Amino acid sequence: MSPMQRIIISRVAQIPIILFAVYTLTFALAWLIPGNPLEKDEGRRPPAAIAEAMQSQWNLDDPWTFYWSYLGDITGVNWLLGNGNTAVIDFGPSLRHENWSVNEIITGQLPVSMTVGIAAILLALLIGVSAGTLGGLRPGTWVDRLTGSVSVIGVSVPAFVIGTALLLIGGVWLQWFPVGGWGTLSHLILPSVALSLPFSAWIARLTRQGVLEEMQADYIRTVRAKGVSERVVVMNHVLPNALLPVLSYLGPATAAALTGSFVIEKVFAIPGLGMHFVDAVLSKDLTMIMGVVLVYAALLVILNLAVDVMYAWVDPRIQV
Amino acid sequence: MTRLLVPPLVLVLILLALLSLDQRERDADLVLASDNEIFTLDPQRMSWLGDMRIAYALFQGLVRWNTDDFSPQPAVATSWSTSDNGLVWTFHLDQDARWSNGTPVTADDFVWSWQRLLLPDTAADYSNLLFAVDGAKAFWDWRADALAQFTPSPGAAQVLMDETEHHFADTVGITALNTHTLEIRLTHPLPYLLDLLAFAPMMPVYRPAVEGWPDHHATTPPPWDDRQFVTLIPETGRLQPDHHWARPGTMVSNGPYVLDQWRYRRDLRLVPNTHANHSGEIKSVLVRSFPDPNTALLAFRSGEVDWLTGVSADVRQDLLEAKAANPLDTDILVRSIHAIPAFGTDFYSFNCGDTLANGKPNPFHDERVRRAFALATDKQTIVDHVTGLHEPITGSFTPKGSIAGYSPPKGLGFDRVRALRELADAGWSLNDSGALTDTMGTSFPSVDIKYTTSSSRNRRIATALRSQWKEALGVEVTLSGQDSKSFGADLKNGDFMVARGRWYGDWGDPTTFLELFHSTNGNNDRQFSNPNIDAKLDAAAAETDPATRMDMLADIERELFEVHLPLLPICQLVEVTMHDPKALGGMTTHPRLIQYIGDIHRQDGVDQ
Repeated sequence: MSPMQRIIISRVAQIPIILFAVYTLTFALAWLIPGNPLEKDEGRRPPAAIAEAMQSQWNLDDPWTFYWSYLGDITGVNWLLGNGNTAVIDFGPSLRHENWSVNEIITGQLPVSMTVGIAAILLALLIGVSAGTLGGLRPGTWVDRLTGSVSVIGVSVPAFVIGTALLLIGGVWLQWFPVGGWGTLSHLILPSVALSLPFSAWIARLTRQGVLEEMQADYIRTVRAKGVSERVVVMNHVLPNALLPVLSYLGPATAAALTGSFVIEKVFAIPGLGMHFVDAVLSKDLTMIMGVVLVYAALLVILNLAVDVMYAWVDPRIQV
Repeated sequence: MTRLLVPPLVLVLILLALLSLDQRERDADLVLASDNEIFTLDPQRMSWLGDMRIAYALFQGLVRWNTDDFSPQPAVATSWSTSDNGLVWTFHLDQDARWSNGTPVTADDFVWSWQRLLLPDTAADYSNLLFAVDGAKAFWDWRADALAQFTPSPGAAQVLMDETEHHFADTVGITALNTHTLEIRLTHPLPYLLDLLAFAPMMPVYRPAVEGWPDHHATTPPPWDDRQFVTLIPETGRLQPDHHWARPGTMVSNGPYVLDQWRYRRDLRLVPNTHANHSGEIKSVLVRSFPDPNTALLAFRSGEVDWLTGVSADVRQDLLEAKAANPLDTDILVRSIHAIPAFGTDFYSFNCGDTLANGKPNPFHDERVRRAFALATDKQTIVDHVTGLHEPITGSFTPKGSIAGYSPPKGLGFDRVRALRELADAGWSLNDSGALTDTMGTSFPSVDIKYTTSSSRNRRIATALRSQWKEALGVEVTLSGQDSKSFGADLKNGDFMVARGRWYGDWGDPTTFLELFHSTNGNNDRQFSNPNIDAKLDAAAAETDPATRMDMLADIERELFEVHLPLLPICQLVEVTMHDPKALGGMTTHPRLIQYIGDIHRQDGVDQ
C-alpha cells in the first residue's frame, strides 16, 4: 500500500468521527432554541393536551431519547434492526412540513443547489482564471486595474442587490430570462452569474498572484532562454503552477456553492437547500436542522478530501 | 496542464447530468404566487390560510360559501333541515357526488372524517370546532384519558382502537342515517353551524387513501399492518398517521380540482377533477413559491404570475398611494394592487394578571390603567404615518362589516385628557417634571413592549406607541424585539407587560373573536379573567334566538372594549394583493377573503 493510499484510508476513517461530533454539537444547539416546533408562532393554539401528545410522538419531550433514537435512524442501525424505517439513512419527517420527509426534501433540493453551485463555480473559473491571468501577465496596466476593481465589486456588493438588478434587467426589461423559478437552462443563467461573482473575484486574485510570482521564477527565465514562445511559456509552464492555490480554494468554494446560498435561492425563487439553513433554525424544525447540517458537513469533508487527493495527483511532489 | 482541466470537466459532466434530471414547468391558465409556504394539504391538520386556499380547490364540504356575502350554499349537501329546537340537523347529500377515483361520496365519509378530526391522535388544531356536537368533547376526553392510562400488552392497542370506534358511534351525535343522509345532534344551538361546515378542517377525506389501504375500493378495512399510511403503536396505543397520503398520486379528493404535481417549496399544480362538475374556466392552476416578495412582484410585472397574495412591503405603500391619487391610472402595477380590509385585527395585549412574570406588581392589572393607555393612543396617526396602509382604525375586536347581522361597538377613542383622569383614579398623576408617579412619589414602572422582529411593521408600531405614551402619560417605555419562537413562548407563559398580536377569525360569528376572553380559553394569553364576562359568554352560547344572541354578544364586546380593555385594538388588518382587474374576474372583496379558485375567470380588457 502506498503512503497516499494509507493516508486516504485514514482520512476516510475520520469522516464518521467528524460527523458524530457535528451531530452531537448541532443537536445540543438546536435543542436550546426556545419554543416548540410543532406549534404555530401566532394564531389559534391547539388544546394543551394535543401539543403534549404530539411532542411525545416525536420524542420531543426527552432530549436523550430523541438523541439516541435519531442517531439510530440516521446511521442505519434502526433500519438494520427493522424498526420500521423505510430508508437506511432516515432523517425522519419534517416537523414543520408533515407531508414531506427530510430525506425527500434533501434529495429533491440538493441537486438544485448543486446545479446552481457547479454552474457558478465553472463560470467563476472561466472569469476568474482569464481575468487573473490577464492581470498577472500585465501588472499595473489598465487591464489589471479593470479586473482588479471589478473583483472588488464582485466581493463587496451584496448578492441580493446584484440578484434583484439582474432580474430587473434580464427578466423584466429585456425579457430574456424568466423571473425566478426553476426547470430550464434559462432559469439557471441569472442565478449562476449572481452566485459566481464573489468566487470569480477570489479566483481572479489568486490567479493573478500566482501568475505574478511564477513569471519571476528562475525556471521561467530558463524556459524563455530556450526560445520557447510566450504562449507556450504561459500555458505549459506558468499556469499549471500558478493555479495550484486556485485548486485548493476550489474545495471549500465548491462545497459552499453546492449546498446553496440562502440569498441567491431566495431572490431567484430557486427550490434549493440553502434556504433551509435559516428557515429550519427559525422554526426549530429539529429533523430538518440535523438533516441539512449533516449533509453539508459530509459534503464539506468529502470535497476537502477530494481536493487534497486531486492536488497530489496534479502535482505528485505534494504529500496529502 | 491537461490534468488541471479534469476538475472543471468533471463539474461540467455533473452539471449536464443534473440538468437532465429536472422536469420543466408547464404553463397554466392561472399562475398564483404564494408568499408563504404550504405546510400541509391534509384538511384536518390545517391551520394556515395559505393551506386552506388549496384545500378549497381540492375538497368540497357539505356546504360552501357564496363569497359575495358569505352565506352558506349547497355543496355536497343539496338540502338540509333543522329541528324546532335547533339541536338536530339533517343533511341530504348529492347522490352524484364522487371522489376523484369515481366512488360516491357518502355520509359515512363525513362521519369518519369528523371522527378523525375528533381523535386526539390526529392532533388537529381545530379538533374543538366540533365540541358543540353532542358527546364530542366527552369522546375526545375519553380517548385522551384511555391513551394516558394505556398499558401495553399484545393486541391491547387494537382492542382500544376498536373500542374507540364503537364509543364514537354510540356516544357522538354524528350519524349516517343512510348512504346519503347525515344527522348532527348538538348540545346547544349553533346558529353558525353551516358556516363551520364550510371551513377547511371540516372537509371530508377518503379513508382508504388516508390510511393507505392496498385496495381503495374495499368495503371493510384491512388489518392495521396492511395500511400504508397509519400505524397503531403497540407501546402507546396511539394511531400514528403518516401524512404522505396528501401527495400527488396517493391523494383522493372530492373538490373541483385534483393534485397533479407538488414539488416542495417550488410549485404545486391543480387540474380539474374529472369526476366533479367542473364549470369553471380555469383548467389548470400553478401555485409558484416565491420566498422573496420583491421577486414575486417582478414576476407579476413580467407577466409570469397572474395573482399575488401578499405584496412586498417595499413598494405597496407607493403603489397604493398612486392608485388613491388616480384610480384610473393604467400602469399595470398601480391598477393591479388591491388593499382589502380583512377578517382580522391588529392589537397589543395587556398582561392582566396580578403580578408580572418577575414577581413585581403589574400596573396593568388595574383596568383603569389599561383604559388610560388605550385612550392615550392615537391610532389614526399610526395607520396614516407609521404603517402607511391607512387601515381602518378600530376600538373593538371584531372587524366591522365582516359578519352579517352584527355590528361591533365603537370602543374607546383617542382622548388624552380622559386618559390622565383614569390614571388619577388609579392613583397615578403627573408630577412637576412631567413624570407619572403615585402619591408617595414612586414613578410608574417602566412599560415594556414586546414584539416580533419578523417584520418591520411591528417595530414601527411599537416605536410609535412608545413615543405616544411617553408624551401623553409621562411613562418610560422600553421595546423588546424578539424572534417569533421566543416571543411565542413568552406570550404563552405570561412573561410580558404589553405584547403585539394579531387575530384572524375562522368562522362567521363574533365568537371566533370573543371566545378569547373566556378565562378558560387556551388562547387567553392576557390572563384576563372576569366572572361576569365568562357568565355572559356562557349565556350567549345557550341562547336559542339568533337575534337576541347577537345582541348579547354585542353587549359583551361593548363591556370588554369600553370597560375592561384586555387588549388595545389598533386597526383592522388589510390584505394587499395583486391581480389585473382587466384580466381576472370573480375575485372576492369580502373581508373574509376566502377565494374559491373555481370562481375565478379570465376576461379580456373589461374591468369588473
